[in-house]
Amino acid sequence: MASFTPNLEPAPDTSLQFKPKKPRITLQTPSSCPSNQRTQRIKRWRTQRDQHIYSSKLFQALRRSRRTSASREVHETADRVLAGLARGTTRWSRAILTARKVTKHKKAKLPTNNRLRKPDIYRERRKTPAVERKLKVLGRLVPGCRKLSFSNLIEETSDYIAALEMQVRAMTAITEFLCGGTGGGPQPPADRLPSNVNS
Amino acid sequence: MSGRRSRSKQSSVSSITDDQITDLVSKLQHLIPELRRRRFDKVSTSKVLQETCNYIRSLHREVEDLSDRLSQLLASTDSDSDQAAIIRSLLMQ
Repeated sequence: MASFTPNLEPAPDTSLQFKPKKPRITLQTPSSCPSNQRTQRIKRWRTQRDQHIYSSKLFQALRRSRRTSASREVHETADRVLAGLARGTTRWSRAILTARKVTKHKKAKLPTNNRLRKPDIYRERRKTPAVERKLKVLGRLVPGCRKLSFSNLIEETSDYIAALEMQVRAMTAITEFLCGGTGGGPQPPADRLPSNVNS
Repeated sequence: MSGRRSRSKQSSVSSITDDQITDLVSKLQHLIPELRRRRFDKVSTSKVLQETCNYIRSLHREVEDLSDRLSQLLASTDSDSDQAAIIRSLLMQ
């Protein structure tokens, strides 16, 4: 059933060949029926394979660019590759990519989901102002999610957090390799970042 | 997924029920390492959101630090294609 299984074993070399020919595969988990779409999304950033793909893409991007001496460039490259992996399926990834296409000062305005907007008076009945405030802060932290409805925002946040965790794992791995594996990079605590999903 | 937005069927104006809210909040709670241990206690929505923001900020900081370190490392190990090939093959294992 599974064309690949995410586990601790080293990924086969064919993962490199997959990239130019069928980049779509990066998003597909072993299950292909539509009812498991939600499970697919939950496991999306947690497989070893995804992390390997991201690491290699990031590394190639970093080596290609001559201006990687600035930490900001590295950060933006990392974000851009991460958003690229999402293939435009999430708002935050689209926001990152479009923000880079335009200048840095102007963020592209994304269409908001207007039919889900509730008038303020009804919203306050459901959630307290404190929660409202925190929702706003959260919306500012996740790129491109300032004016989302509650459920959309939570969905985006979950995906964003998973992606960020993978980004941290991958960049830590790259750093360790560049250091020669002498333990120069920070070790993410094993219980904090679940990096393996056994399907 | 489309069942969530059954706006026309509900008598109240709000398009999302309280159950859905608690559902989503608990799903978010599960993702946050701080709150994962306390899964069986009732954690307030406000606290979950607060911890989410803190967690995202700390992840941002980590990525910042890592990219800082990476930029320094890359500056020192520059323009060595053999080394890059080795590292790339190591990354794939």
